[in-house]
Amino acid sequence: MKPGALNDRRLAVDRAVVRFTPGRPAVDGADLTLTCGRITALLGPSGSGKSTLLRAIAGLEKLDSGAVRFEGRLWSGDGVHLQPETRRCGVVFQDYALFPHLTALGNVAFGLRGSTRAQKREAALARLETVELAHRAGAYPHELSGGEQQRIALARALAPGPDVMMLDEPFSGLDRRLRASLRETTADALRASEAATLIVTHDAEEALALADSIALMNEGRIIQHGAPDQLYLKPASVEAARLLGAVEVFDARIATGRADTPIGAVEAHSFENGTLVQVLVRPEGVGVARADAEGALADIVSRRAAAGYAKLICRLESGREVEARASLADPLRAGDAVRLALDPHFASVVAV
Amino acid sequence: MAVSAPTRRFDPVWPAAFAALVCAAPLLAVAALAVFGPWTDYMVHLVQTRLPAYLGHTALVTAIAAGLAGVIGAPLAWLVARYAFPGRGVFEWLVALPLAMPAYAAAYAWYDLTQGFGPLGGYVPTVRGPVGAGIIFAVTLYPYVYLLAREAFAGQSADAYDAARTLGESPRGAFLRAALPLARPAIAAGLALVVMESLADYGAVVHLGAPTLSVGLIRAWAGEGATADAARLAMILVGIAFLIFAVERSQRRRARQSASSGKRRPSRRVTLTGPAAALAILACATPVLLGLVIPMGRLGARALNAPLASDLMEAAGNSLFLASISGAVAAVLGLAAAYALRSGRKRAVFAARLAGLGYAVPGSVAALGVLALFGLAQGWLDAGWTFAFGGVFPALLTGSVFALIFAYQSRFAAAAIGPAESALARVTPTLDAASRTLGAGPGETAWRVHRPLISSGALLAALLVFVEVLKELPATMILRPFNFETLAVSAHNYASDERLGQAAAPALLIVLIALPPMIWIARRITGGRTGREITK
Repeated sequence: MKPGALNDRRLAVDRAVVRFTPGRPAVDGADLTLTCGRITALLGPSGSGKSTLLRAIAGLEKLDSGAVRFEGRLWSGDGVHLQPETRRCGVVFQDYALFPHLTALGNVAFGLRGSTRAQKREAALARLETVELAHRAGAYPHELSGGEQQRIALARALAPGPDVMMLDEPFSGLDRRLRASLRETTADALRASEAATLIVTHDAEEALALADSIALMNEGRIIQHGAPDQLYLKPASVEAARLLGAVEVFDARIATGRADTPIGAVEAHSFENGTLVQVLVRPEGVGVARADAEGALADIVSRRAAAGYAKLICRLESGREVEARASLADPLRAGDAVRLALDPHFASVVAV
Repeated sequence: MAVSAPTRRFDPVWPAAFAALVCAAPLLAVAALAVFGPWTDYMVHLVQTRLPAYLGHTALVTAIAAGLAGVIGAPLAWLVARYAFPGRGVFEWLVALPLAMPAYAAAYAWYDLTQGFGPLGGYVPTVRGPVGAGIIFAVTLYPYVYLLAREAFAGQSADAYDAARTLGESPRGAFLRAALPLARPAIAAGLALVVMESLADYGAVVHLGAPTLSVGLIRAWAGEGATADAARLAMILVGIAFLIFAVERSQRRRARQSASSGKRRPSRRVTLTGPAAALAILACATPVLLGLVIPMGRLGARALNAPLASDLMEAAGNSLFLASISGAVAAVLGLAAAYALRSGRKRAVFAARLAGLGYAVPGSVAALGVLALFGLAQGWLDAGWTFAFGGVFPALLTGSVFALIFAYQSRFAAAAIGPAESALARVTPTLDAASRTLGAGPGETAWRVHRPLISSGALLAALLVFVEVLKELPATMILRPFNFETLAVSAHNYASDERLGQAAAPALLIVLIALPPMIWIARRITGGRTGREITK
């Protein structure tokens, strides 16, 4: 299949609403498009409706309004509700939901149909091979480690060749190191499957590492959807910005097409002069220089080593504290005087 | 995150409502009879003469039974859960086996052994009267306490014990201040089961001369034909039983709430050696000897030295037939109730809980209710039949095998709910969801996911009821068709004629038939993840 043709195959969620109890719906008018062969991460805080949206796409919840379509065909909405078994939509559940009475092989073979027993066995074994677990084919779920269970669940969901794949917090039960290595295998297997994939997570790092695009969800709505770096650099709101990492928020008023902050200015031509805005600045966008350089004068309040960089808290003359990053090799210490300068690439201007 | 049921799941309201009806209808019939039935002088006479004795015996017998069963069952559970000694793995399930011994069979054997001319006569006091009956119930029913307490001791209560030790408590102090309080709800639930079984008994208390309310009820019905008065006694009995039942349920709920949810690794058992190990083995062996082995031996000896009754095989066949059918039906009703509970729908859950009340209804009361109910139905059928065809309705409902099975379900189907419920708990909602997203429809999901996961739980339910029905006496006595003998009835009839030689064979046969399923049940409950399955 040509990549172009693949890109035309989409799953579209249109103003989906799922309501469990009176009051605010769990999913409150969510819009989302998934493309075959691409991985979309659905990122949001606990209780934002991510899992419910996933279950609605898989047909495990009914929509109260809105629609889910795949390649133009209506799956949910307008009184239509295709049963989950007819959607060709594979799911990796948060608890993996492996069948405890079946072996790894039996689990993977569960969804294979329309062939002889031997063919199913062979296909399931081949599938186990792709997640490097062929040697565990005869093991029961309780005999498998967490990472193995996750891979079996993935292989099982992929085995029937689904058009759409849903993964609900697939790495949440695993330790950090295992998570990183499984991420790669999982992403490779998913891209190879050419399914339209949605990975639900509340871990920004995971979303950034895995996904071709990220959808941010908050209070039942998709608040921004785009490429990972674009989302990181140009968040559309404070909430969206905070979901992906630390951010400094400066209030500003547009003057002559620019928004001024204590550490520098950002071009903002799309706003009228006099408009109140917020300038969102990632820590990477706060340049730290010697006190004799250009920029706003500040004192370093604290310095902490993090994974790969040094995290600095700097206090401006106004008393405002700003987070910045420096190389671990940098000899800056708490108490040093520095100058801070804004890098507009890491800044985004949004309406209040 | 909200997880609601996937769409179009099998809706169990109706089967559960049916189960509830089966369990509740006889009780309601008894209540109606007690309220609306004719008052006779018999009741007045009874209140003035024997009722105080019935009540006194009931109180004394159940108090002794519960106290002694607790003293045997709880320490035994602690020993098996926390210490390692030779044979511990076998004793773990072996000490539960006295449940295969009907209390009346143990009563025949122990009375026979300890009476004046028996082999132990003169050496130990004769086992008789309320004290004797209490002892007999304790040695045959303590496994209820043991099974529930063992689970508690092996679980969170063990963690609390370890924590208490690290906080400076001595072993004794840690047991008394940490382990025991946490296991108390489980122990109380086990004691409640002992009391309910003791309340329901007829054979043992009659044989040992400690007539309780159950006996009064059957005498009122059989001796005086005062059905309505029997129903009134039944209401007193049910009132007491429900009180105990309420205690059991609330204690069990607390036990469940305090059960830890996360993974826990069992703490290491303390290894006993030398005299301590010998003492532990003795402590495990003694209750099994008292409750099972010695009575079996005595019954065996008496059976060998007496001519076999000619109808023994027929009675055995009838017993097997009734127990098998009842076990199978109860497993189905139990599953229906469990599905209802799982669905979480208000009406379904209510129906299932109603069905669960049945266990508090003693067999004699259930039988009386079925009698009243079927009498009413028979009246209507006869009237209708006479109107339509002349003559009376050709089949007699009361005194039919059907009536018996109905009464058994009303009493024992509740015992099948617990195992079915915990079996179904293995089928988490996400397993359903996984199966559906892998292309299996609801029917296929039921067959390929539910069936394999619940079948052994359903078997456990069926076997529990099988054993109970095999041992059941009062309901069988009241409802059995004319000339229809079961092992229990046959043993009781011979025993009340003082022909213990003939009574021994059917009594022993009950134990022999009940033992293999009981071994399976005991091994499964103690070997498996939970002893909660014996939720009755």
